[in-house]
Amino acid sequence: MSGGRAAAPGRTRSRRVTRLIDTVSRWGFMLPAFVILLAVLAYPILYTIEISFAELDLGTFLPSEWVGWDNYETVLSDERFWHSLKVTGIYLAFAMPLQMALGFGIAFLVNADWRGRGAVRALFLIPMVIAPVVAGGLWRMLLDPLWGLSNYLLGLVGIGPLDWFGDATLGMATVIIIDTWRWTPFVTLIATAGLMSLPRDVFEAAEIDGANWWVMLRHVTMPLLVPIIAAAFVVRWLGAVKMFDIVLASTLGGPGRATNVINLFIYQEAFRGLKFAESAAMSIVILVLTMILTGIFLRGTRHLEQRY
Amino acid sequence: MSQDRKTTTAISRRGAIAAGVSAMTVSAMPVRAAPADGGGLGTAEAPISIRMAANDAFAKLWQTVLVPEFNKKYPHIKVTIDGLTYSEHLTKTLLDLTSATPAYDVICNDDPWTPQIAQTGALLDLKKDVAAWTDPDFDWNDFYAAPLAASEWKGVQYGVPLRSNMLLMFYNRTHYKKAGLPEPTPKLTWAEYMAQAPKLVQDVKGEGKVNAWAVSTYFARDQLTPTIWQAILNANGGKLLDADGKAAFNTPVGVATLQTFVDLLKYAPPGAKSHVFTEELTAFRQGQLATMFMWGSVFRGTAVDTASTTLKTEEVGIQVMPVGSAGPGTHRGIWSGEISKKTQFPRAAWALLQWMSSKDGERFASANVGSFPARKSTLAGKPEFPWLAPVFATLAQSYEVAQAGQMWRPRLAKSDAVQQVLADEVARATAGELSPAEALKNAAGRIDKLRL
Repeated sequence: MSGGRAAAPGRTRSRRVTRLIDTVSRWGFMLPAFVILLAVLAYPILYTIEISFAELDLGTFLPSEWVGWDNYETVLSDERFWHSLKVTGIYLAFAMPLQMALGFGIAFLVNADWRGRGAVRALFLIPMVIAPVVAGGLWRMLLDPLWGLSNYLLGLVGIGPLDWFGDATLGMATVIIIDTWRWTPFVTLIATAGLMSLPRDVFEAAEIDGANWWVMLRHVTMPLLVPIIAAAFVVRWLGAVKMFDIVLASTLGGPGRATNVINLFIYQEAFRGLKFAESAAMSIVILVLTMILTGIFLRGTRHLEQRY
Repeated sequence: MSQDRKTTTAISRRGAIAAGVSAMTVSAMPVRAAPADGGGLGTAEAPISIRMAANDAFAKLWQTVLVPEFNKKYPHIKVTIDGLTYSEHLTKTLLDLTSATPAYDVICNDDPWTPQIAQTGALLDLKKDVAAWTDPDFDWNDFYAAPLAASEWKGVQYGVPLRSNMLLMFYNRTHYKKAGLPEPTPKLTWAEYMAQAPKLVQDVKGEGKVNAWAVSTYFARDQLTPTIWQAILNANGGKLLDADGKAAFNTPVGVATLQTFVDLLKYAPPGAKSHVFTEELTAFRQGQLATMFMWGSVFRGTAVDTASTTLKTEEVGIQVMPVGSAGPGTHRGIWSGEISKKTQFPRAAWALLQWMSSKDGERFASANVGSFPARKSTLAGKPEFPWLAPVFATLAQSYEVAQAGQMWRPRLAKSDAVQQVLADEVARATAGELSPAEALKNAAGRIDKLRL
């Protein structure tokens, strides 16, 4: 008895020590990553938040005077800020569904059994690895009304010439086309991986039950793919809201301000207008807005996953 | 008599203070002792390395062609020139120069940027802080006033002109001949130019369709687009800002000149609304334009260098932009060299800038790297190549024109902010989103809010 009583505190101490060593070693492994994250992620965000409530001294690039919500009031009362948000909304409303539909559609085709699909799959990745600025320049050449290949080809079937960069609607279409060309392969890649991971037995069972191609797509494939579609949408959404470089390289936000997406607007206000404090306020507004919308999309994703 | 003595005393006291301040500034700089570093110019055993920030359009050429020539005179100063993209140039140099240990000893700044950088206190005063090292042959008075003023702010000379550029009118003689029009002269008015423009939209290749247009220039949403309109505005006596920094362009002259600028699009090639530097230049060099309003520095690549143009030298004419009610037009675009206040090697940095802007440096640069001179003696002298003769004559005239009409971007700490507002609103007018009157009203309202 007494021996047992004496052993209990010893075991407890040893368990505590083990737990302490475990905790310390876990934090030891996490610490470098934590420090790096703090330096490259938290510091810029905190700095941006700080200067969004201040005047910025351009001589030191440090906040010089606390101005409270002034920068936010200025930004929210600026018609150009809301216009850029609207332009970004139009771009997202067209580009996102287009890229998702094309991405999954191409994945279905690539997933079918036909010769040369491996090569096609590899070729699809090319747009993704081309730098956005190069992609913008490349498309600028292709769509140029004077020298571009696109107007020549359209001319052969009696269309055009189209002023891709001089017309407001076509300017936005140009940005969407370039972005879709660049990012559809990414969606295709995720969709292909998803399709390949679907359980074969479910399809075999449906086939035995006499389901045709459409029924299988509608009632088997799509429900099984919903979590993947949702995940691809969220990942792509997070990339699309950052749209900047393609616009800068292709339309410069024009014609007029037809393609002046919010990130280009913030960049120009900050780096051309040297309004760093107001631009910081805009960035924070966009950050919050993006977080809210991403939260909604993630909830929707979870809801769809549970439903199917 | 007593008055004379008083004056003498005052001058001598001021002189003594100036000399003292100058000596203190120079002595406060961490210049190494003469024997160790050749008096700040390096030695074979201890060469000095300095770094310069320049625009990526010409940084590489300067590094490979200009620096070796400079090293013939200063063999112990190693110069590295980094090319920065135009859109990030100002911000990067601002961030660098205001940091504790800047990477750059020398920066090459575009025309409107000196006030924005000088206000941070990051630049040396070249007529005071490095005066002790100025070569006796370095003649400040030999510079044309307009290019030298590009790097002056509030009475302090922060830089010297290294690459002098002016907005000029280039024309294709073949197109004018084909259209049956007289060759343009510097007396050509805007009214005459616009009247001739429809005839310059023509078939120059005998294809049975239009394949050449009258004009292209900057029309897209770019900071340099408003400079074309401003050149027309200035030629007609208008100006951007008044003495209080308020918008002065929202006037009937402003609206009429912006309308002229927008009307150029009627005679421009398809897609010209999105044209900036490259598109306009390519179209002209491929023989698709009769005229272009462009920076003079492209002349060599447009009329001489067969690797970059289809045109022959004798086909290309150059002159100031057309004449308005007040005179001819142009617009100043000078790249100036300036020295960081925190450089460890101010003497070496100044030696580089002095050589680049000297008579020898200018002559070498204009013949070999296409950078044009700002000195009266260089422009008046015999150029190394015959094709430079009309360019030099036009440059000399354009400096005078720019000085008389103050044809440059605002000389303010918020110059780029003004330029961005103008870029936004002028682009809305060229895109047809707004009328010229509406665009200028918007621009004036926004500029007045900047509290310049």
